Amino acid sequence: MKALVRRVLGVDHGGDRYRYVDDPIRGPVSESRAVDQWVRTTCGYCSVGCGMLLGVRAGRAVAVQGDPDHPVNRGRLCPKGLCEHQMIAADGRLTMPTVDGQAANWNDALDRVVSGLRGVIDTHGPDSVAILSTGQLVTEEFYALGKLARLGMGVRNYDGNTTLCMASAVSGYKLSFGTDGPPGCYEDFELADVVVLWGANIADNHPLLAPRIMGGGQTIVVVDPRVTKTAMLADLHVAVKPRGDVALLNGILATLAAEHLIDLDDIRDRVDGLDDLLAHLAGWDAERAAIESGVEVDVVRELARIIGRAERCVLAWSMGVNHSAQGTETVTLLNSLAVLTGNIGRLGASPFSITGQCNAMGTRETGFTASMPGYRAYDDPLARAELAALWNIDEARLPTERGRAYPDIINAIVSGRIRGLWIIATNPVVSYPHRDIIETALRSLDLLVVQDGFETPTTELANVVLPAAIWGEKDGTFTNSERRVSRVRAAVEPPGRARTDFDIFLDIARRWGCAAELFPGWSSPFDAYEEWRRVSMGRPCDYSGITWDRIDAVGGVQWPCPEGPDVPLAGTKRLYTDQRVNRPGGRTALRVVEPTPLRDAPRPDYPFLLNTGRTVEHWHTRTKTGRIAVLEGLAPEAWVEMHPEDATRLHLRSGDWARVSSQRGTIDRIRVRVTTIVRHGEVFIPFHWDEQCANRLTDDDFDPISREPNYKQCAVRIEPWSA
Amino acid sequence: MTLVQITTKPPMEAKKTNTPELLALDAGEQYRFGFNMNSCIGCHSCEVACAEQNGLPAGTVWRRVGEIEGGDHPTTRRFHLSMSCNQCIEPACLEGCPTNAYVKLTNGVVAHNADDCIGCQYCTWNCPYSVPVFQPDRRIVTKCDMCQPRLEAGRTPACVDACPTHAITIEKVNVEAWRLDHAAGDAPALPSADLTLSTTRFDLPEDLPIDAYAASDWNLRPEHPHWSLVWLTLLSQLAVGMTFTADSFAQRGATATVASIALLGALFHLGRPAVAYKAFRNLRRSWLSREVALLSLYGTLAPITVAAPGVRPYAAAAGAAGVYASARLYMVPGRPAWHTPLTVVRFTATTMALGATATGQRTYAAAGLALAVLATIANWARLLRNPSPPFRGAVRLETRWFRPWTLARFATAIVGALGALLGWPLAIVFVLGAASEFVGRWLFYVAVVPLNMPGAFWRGAAGSHR
Repeated sequence: MKALVRRVLGVDHGGDRYRYVDDPIRGPVSESRAVDQWVRTTCGYCSVGCGMLLGVRAGRAVAVQGDPDHPVNRGRLCPKGLCEHQMIAADGRLTMPTVDGQAANWNDALDRVVSGLRGVIDTHGPDSVAILSTGQLVTEEFYALGKLARLGMGVRNYDGNTTLCMASAVSGYKLSFGTDGPPGCYEDFELADVVVLWGANIADNHPLLAPRIMGGGQTIVVVDPRVTKTAMLADLHVAVKPRGDVALLNGILATLAAEHLIDLDDIRDRVDGLDDLLAHLAGWDAERAAIESGVEVDVVRELARIIGRAERCVLAWSMGVNHSAQGTETVTLLNSLAVLTGNIGRLGASPFSITGQCNAMGTRETGFTASMPGYRAYDDPLARAELAALWNIDEARLPTERGRAYPDIINAIVSGRIRGLWIIATNPVVSYPHRDIIETALRSLDLLVVQDGFETPTTELANVVLPAAIWGEKDGTFTNSERRVSRVRAAVEPPGRARTDFDIFLDIARRWGCAAELFPGWSSPFDAYEEWRRVSMGRPCDYSGITWDRIDAVGGVQWPCPEGPDVPLAGTKRLYTDQRVNRPGGRTALRVVEPTPLRDAPRPDYPFLLNTGRTVEHWHTRTKTGRIAVLEGLAPEAWVEMHPEDATRLHLRSGDWARVSSQRGTIDRIRVRVTTIVRHGEVFIPFHWDEQCANRLTDDDFDPISREPNYKQCAVRIEPWSA
Repeated sequence: MTLVQITTKPPMEAKKTNTPELLALDAGEQYRFGFNMNSCIGCHSCEVACAEQNGLPAGTVWRRVGEIEGGDHPTTRRFHLSMSCNQCIEPACLEGCPTNAYVKLTNGVVAHNADDCIGCQYCTWNCPYSVPVFQPDRRIVTKCDMCQPRLEAGRTPACVDACPTHAITIEKVNVEAWRLDHAAGDAPALPSADLTLSTTRFDLPEDLPIDAYAASDWNLRPEHPHWSLVWLTLLSQLAVGMTFTADSFAQRGATATVASIALLGALFHLGRPAVAYKAFRNLRRSWLSREVALLSLYGTLAPITVAAPGVRPYAAAAGAAGVYASARLYMVPGRPAWHTPLTVVRFTATTMALGATATGQRTYAAAGLALAVLATIANWARLLRNPSPPFRGAVRLETRWFRPWTLARFATAIVGALGALLGWPLAIVFVLGAASEFVGRWLFYVAVVPLNMPGAFWRGAAGSHR
């Protein structure tokens, strides 16, 4: 009562809650952010891989700061990173296992997982169980999970949400160069004289890469249908028509060939398929490319000349390329363009895929999905023999093919062939295209196990929920887009009974009866890492020289990094510096690509083309950022961007509510933003929201090679919303 | 679990290159922010860094990033504008503050002293950039002080330190030189630097479209109704009006009662009534201080008139001056809909209408009601001449958003005035007049659009933080 009176009278203005304390590193700072100790770690959001210090006071994460010593971000962070400590104690953390909606102890929950999955296998065969993981565990966990899934449990259907993200980059690199792995590094963005960002809105999605292209005098080209924040940084913005990429790339290549900007004699013995490509390009010129890509013919030529005449060119891309039914082939064209113009394996010259999740790269290298650990192909006899020997198992136990990819797992659930599913750290209800399908699929399972740090729309459908530790509570390593391996560290204990994913995997392995064989003597992620170093030795993604001590010494080490004195302390900056790639003869495969039409193209009843993407304030399905007030306050709802001409015709104004429908579903009520960021006839919706879920609309059309969804283009109808 | 700590390393001396340096001031100089619109990528890191540095609760935002846009696809131009306090040379917040809680420090920082803040929020109306914010958990106003504790420690503000592209800088400016030429303090969709000699310097893109508009322009929304102020101003004006015509003992008694309730109510409109006594401190510059002083004097004299009728002219004079001060305090550039002598006319009309009706002066009552309506219409005509949202938007709020209430206000005023002239019972006339004025006063507070920096798309939307 006294406190209330004091409050109403305002005797006390709460100043004691807003005092400042002196911090030896940061200087004066709010007492609420005062720390006892700093823990050096790496950001858990995107793949840029910024180094940060996580501040702990009395066992709670209370502050972060960019690591001034880290080579990636030099002390700076994006808005998500700057409040990342708030994620750890956010609402909605899972703290106790549940079985059929009832709180359970770990023993019962894991027994149910193991007996349940075994039961499904016993009844319906080994092909009836699937695992979907993520790009956000630590490398050590991916390595352990891969072994557990493919060798221990014998699961054939194992994939990650990385297939929704950068699978096309992986497939494209493999087709062009023989193995995955971005050949360049961030420094190349600064050393290049031309940087092309193709379908990459780094200002929103990889903000700490933006400083690398600013103020250095490089010519910046941005290829994007929208006038993104990144397009505003460009010297030349090419507003390509959605899915006009292949046509534009063919036009560029044809122009380069026609104008003799490719040194055919020099390149001939470093590539395969040159003559086929040239023959194919005879059917292309700038005019045809202009018509099919929606880019003015002069711009096609200008772009070709900018790239062709560049001394050093980085061709970087992201989801604008990957999120396409032609993603893989678009990647191969970018690779071909880079190689034909001599932009690979040199300072400031690289075809560079900017990856999505913080450790998508870790799962690319160690995972057991699209390839076996260490970029070993399933059908490579030497690699099989080597891996079997390293693991001391019979080679016949290694799977002979990758098994079903993500969308094929979902389709097999729908058709009843897969009956048990274990989902780890991903939220497909919101992130998978054509939401109706995924919801139907997950509801039809005999057993759905979801392991996550937070309650999500996906955990709501689960039979068993396993509470996992998250970033800040786990030890291990992340590998970023430039192949740099950095440490992540546990700074605080997980809440309640939550356990690290690593512990959960080991426990399940014990119950499955495969722990002794797969994880002999393992107790911590370090054990997994040490084995992975051995397993990667001699492979293109060689981690063998990257000890945790070495990472600490330089803040991050780039693979390949074999042991030995010849390798720089910070590892290898660039791949293919000898101009030989990982294909037979060291030659790059040039591929011939023709554009394919959109499956779900705009038409009278669905007249608009919908593009989806991200905004800087949020991460993926807002499982984390949606719970952080400062970020929510910056972007509290989804919106649909619409050109003024279209809006006027529909009598919509900024701030009005609209209903957006595709052939597959409807967003009932979403706020309109009338803006010339988008072209007449095209609309854009950020995909982060469950409430206004863009994936109710998107098409479940997939790249035939990478199996990545075509998130970026589908046809929709827009109407003013009425109750 | 074992924690692997790498801690208490020395503060990274080697990497100074990425940490901006704080320059020492020379005579006649102050600190200011610089903002390069070409370099800003709209990442909002500065906003989050500010919230973290100062431990601000959700919704209390000291630095904001706005967005302006113009042109047509594919040559659309869109730019961002990050702004916190402009550390003005003539800060409107400081000049209007009744308690002198604001101080212009020698380094130029416009600092706010929480101990002296009574939570009246007058500075939030005065600032043409809507910089000071009422922080509900503290019941006072807070604002950016350029990270004064960091400046004292020789460090740059947190936003400057956090900006990944170095778009935000801290600079020195010669105060007299800036007084003479502050053209670089202007930016599109931003109130002119002339108003308060705001010091933030903008590097603007060369290709800014002429038609650039703020992404927040769509979000026209009513302001806070300030219910306590609706009551306070109406009751004080009723009392003052009655004082002019209150002849009988009963009328003087009623007047004194109304005046006392009004004064007491005024206290509780403050965030911190306990320190209300500080409100007299800025009589030299603040109309709010003067209002408090004059109405307090009036509130003291009004009860005396009950026993000593001869005091009534003095009470009336104090009251009239108080009503005038009351009106003047709303005439601030930061609130264009109020920034007009018509506000004085409005308040005078209310005083007439209510006071005269209560004491049976029918002609004055009718005239007051008519004048109140005419002043509103005249104000609309004035505001409509300027197309920018703080002007035209205020009319739009009153005539579109609140159309039924505006119509009801006008109807009750007209019927009330006619009733007064046609000899209807005074009680009915009073109810009509009071209802009209009550709605009118509420509309006065809600149908105003503050000057502000251009906002991001979500500014002011539900769930957004400013």
